[in-house]
Amino acid sequence: MTSDNVLVMEKTSFKDAVTIAKKGTHCGMCRFDFLGSGVCPAGRKHGFLAYWPQGRMEIVKQLDSGRVKPTEKLKDIVNSCNLCGICDKQCNFITQLRPEKVAGALKEYVDSLDESEIQHVPEDDILHGLREIVGDDWATNDPIIISAYTMTILPPDNKLNYYVVMPENTEQISKIVKFANKNNVPYLPRSGGTAFSAAAPTVLVKGLSLEQGIIIDLYRLRNLEIHPDSQTATIGAGITMFELQKEALNHKLRALAAEAGAHVCSNILTTGIISTWGNKYGAFADNFIDLTTVDDEGNIKKHSDWERNNPYSTEPGFTNLSLTPSVIVTEAVVKLHPVFDDEEAVLVPFDNIRDAFRLLIKLGKRDVGLSLAVLSRKYLAEFLSPTIQISKDFDYVCKNYLKLNYVVAVICDQNDKKIVEDMVNCTIDQSLMKSLILGAPRFSKLRDSEFLKILSEEEDPLKAIFAGPMRKHLEKALDPSPEQVSKVFDEDLQDFFKKVYSKPEMTDIVWLHAFRILPTRMMRQQMFMGPGGAMWTGDEDHYLNWIQMFADMGDKLDVEHSLGFISPLDHGKFAYMEYDYYYDHNDPEERNKISKITVDSMEQSLVMGKVLTILNYLYKGIYRKEHVLYPIAKGISEEEQELFKELLGTVLGEEI
Amino acid sequence: MVKFLSEEWIEIGKKYMIEKLDPVKDLKSITTSLLGVVEHIPPDDSTMNFYLELEGGKLKDFIVNTGYTFEEKEAAYEIKGNYGTYKSVLKGEMSLGIAVLKNRLKVKGSKMAALKLIKPLDGVIVSLQEITDEFEE
Ligand SMILES: Cc1cc2nc3c(=O)[nH]c(=O)nc-3n(C[C@H](O)[C@H](O)[C@H](O)COP(=O)(O)OP(=O)(O)OC[C@H]3O[C@@H](n4cnc5c(N)ncnc54)[C@H](O)[C@@H]3O)c2cc1C
Repeated sequence: MTSDNVLVMEKTSFKDAVTIAKKGTHCGMCRFDFLGSGVCPAGRKHGFLAYWPQGRMEIVKQLDSGRVKPTEKLKDIVNSCNLCGICDKQCNFITQLRPEKVAGALKEYVDSLDESEIQHVPEDDILHGLREIVGDDWATNDPIIISAYTMTILPPDNKLNYYVVMPENTEQISKIVKFANKNNVPYLPRSGGTAFSAAAPTVLVKGLSLEQGIIIDLYRLRNLEIHPDSQTATIGAGITMFELQKEALNHKLRALAAEAGAHVCSNILTTGIISTWGNKYGAFADNFIDLTTVDDEGNIKKHSDWERNNPYSTEPGFTNLSLTPSVIVTEAVVKLHPVFDDEEAVLVPFDNIRDAFRLLIKLGKRDVGLSLAVLSRKYLAEFLSPTIQISKDFDYVCKNYLKLNYVVAVICDQNDKKIVEDMVNCTIDQSLMKSLILGAPRFSKLRDSEFLKILSEEEDPLKAIFAGPMRKHLEKALDPSPEQVSKVFDEDLQDFFKKVYSKPEMTDIVWLHAFRILPTRMMRQQMFMGPGGAMWTGDEDHYLNWIQMFADMGDKLDVEHSLGFISPLDHGKFAYMEYDYYYDHNDPEERNKISKITVDSMEQSLVMGKVLTILNYLYKGIYRKEHVLYPIAKGISEEEQELFKELLGTVLGEEI
Repeated sequence: MVKFLSEEWIEIGKKYMIEKLDPVKDLKSITTSLLGVVEHIPPDDSTMNFYLELEGGKLKDFIVNTGYTFEEKEAAYEIKGNYGTYKSVLKGEMSLGIAVLKNRLKVKGSKMAALKLIKPLDGVIVSLQEITDEFEE
């Protein structure tokens, strides 16, 4: 410690910075203020991804691999960073990484460069045309800035033959599209990059990313207005789910929530917002009152324009795959929903999936609860645990001693709470969940303890621990407190995390469900791929066999796997299921396995039928769910299966 | 040197397909017709189209026109896209399938039906790739 109580930052070598950067998975959580720490000032000011912590990490990787050479802009990028440390707080909470070390090493590296090593980037007519539309500061062809978008819209090894443009309104986007068409340059919009980041290490990269041309970064469309009277919000395409949710809550309202860092307009279009709140709040076109879109001719349209072709319907069938959006959603008027004073979280523990599924669908069909889902043990462990090791131990304890393999998580009012409680043996209430969050380090240390050995001998360990005499012993053993949980973080960040964990919302399961700041912990220092889809719930065995099919694939290829979540849709008639595979994104062999699973599981799902797979979901969010989900898909025939294989062969690469 | 959409392109294309493609093996005895609309052609941003008709795997018609439609015949399938996209397909940088799935080539009518065509049309695409080596800049 120095006299002014600041820890001196040890210098990080460039090599170590590369190692840290490679562990990053582009979750995008450093681009909005989810901990009350503030947000990267350089990123906020300059916009381009290169100026955000995530972008600096990618640049370090790209420089190291030799794909890019330093440019003048690189100097600007490092100079814009004052090593304020906000990124360390944010990133460490999710991934335990330290992006500030990477930023520091990048600064050192740039300072050591000779002027002759800085390459000059010539401008061209396309760049001039884009600058005429958005102004000089907001369009570039600088390879360093462009390289920062690798893995979150650009494939890892294409030539950096691109431009990035940051428009600030719909009219500019319309002009960019017209300009791109006229000049025969491809383009693709980019929002939070969260869908891209999940797809990038896999075979999907070729289909989903931009092969050359113009990246339209939508971050600057930051309009956000809440209309309390109509319970709606108008949002620009640059607004994240977290930012909308925060503003809505100020008015005691709530948006249909999914990934915190996903931009809402993008999420509407990409998946129709798959959410645990979907049974109550809706899906696909249920989410919005109106959309403003720019089509591929550059025409600006609204869904509400009454003299236009029906914008709510789409071609049914399994070949209705689309790998890019048909329009750019530039603004949405979304529905908001009331937050009730008596909302509470009730979690029902299960040792087996059949019983959990049965309860879930029963509740879904009766419209009980606001948010409804089966969450796997793996999810609980990942979300609640502050570090990777704790999550592994947490998982072990749940599996081996408690037989806690699934929970049905219900957010509901007091009336619905009574209904749930009447239907089940025991529940985990809010207070015990708080103890599990603040006591996660102790909980994970209980593995192999006498206490757990005794518990595991109980006939029904779940009941004994959550509703029986063992509960008070558990609470005592956990000794839950912000001090305790913050001790597992790096020493210099412990005070900060103590304050974070002292905030009521950090242990409030309702808030955590709505603001979803924990799911990115699934991608801390490793990657996950979550295939699945929405399946008709009318045939329980069919549904459970489908889940088993995913488990078998994971076993066969020896990839870590687990059910993610199941959540009902359309009054329980369908339920969305995500099955997750976890892997090292830096290992080519692992990536191949994930690619194979992605393709094979989709094919097998289509053969089974009664399902709309995630790949069929993609880019259908602006249509009515009735047009997307119905008619319920039949299993595909052998001839169709052949066609499907051919199709994926040409699209994704023959190697799969 | 054969330039995409030129008269020569049509002539050499026809000859190549007739000589080199086996109607059964390469073209799966397919009977269909296709209108390809090419937009934003440099240097003056014009639009052209080409009409291609196969009967029992044999080339029946291959014609280039200006504008969006070919008045004389109605094609079973219509695809539309930028000059740049056709150029990428003909240079082998992007497959026809991926161009359709990426919405770079838009299909009129059912995407499913059009995708079924891709495999049988492979031979045609390869032929056109072989003969086309000049583009407007
Ligand atoms: C940890 C994690 C959890 C997730 N959980 C969920 C979940 O619960 N529910 C869910 O629905 N999804 C989930 N996803 C997937 C992802 O968040 C969504 O697909 C989301 O829509 C991506 O938003 P984005 O802003 O990051 O888009 P990007 O990744 O930037 O873009 C995704 C696609 O949309 C296009 N696009 C971007 N913006 C626009 C726009 N304004 N108009 C048209 N097209 C656009 C892009 O070209 C790209 O093709 C999760 C992803 C991760 C990594």
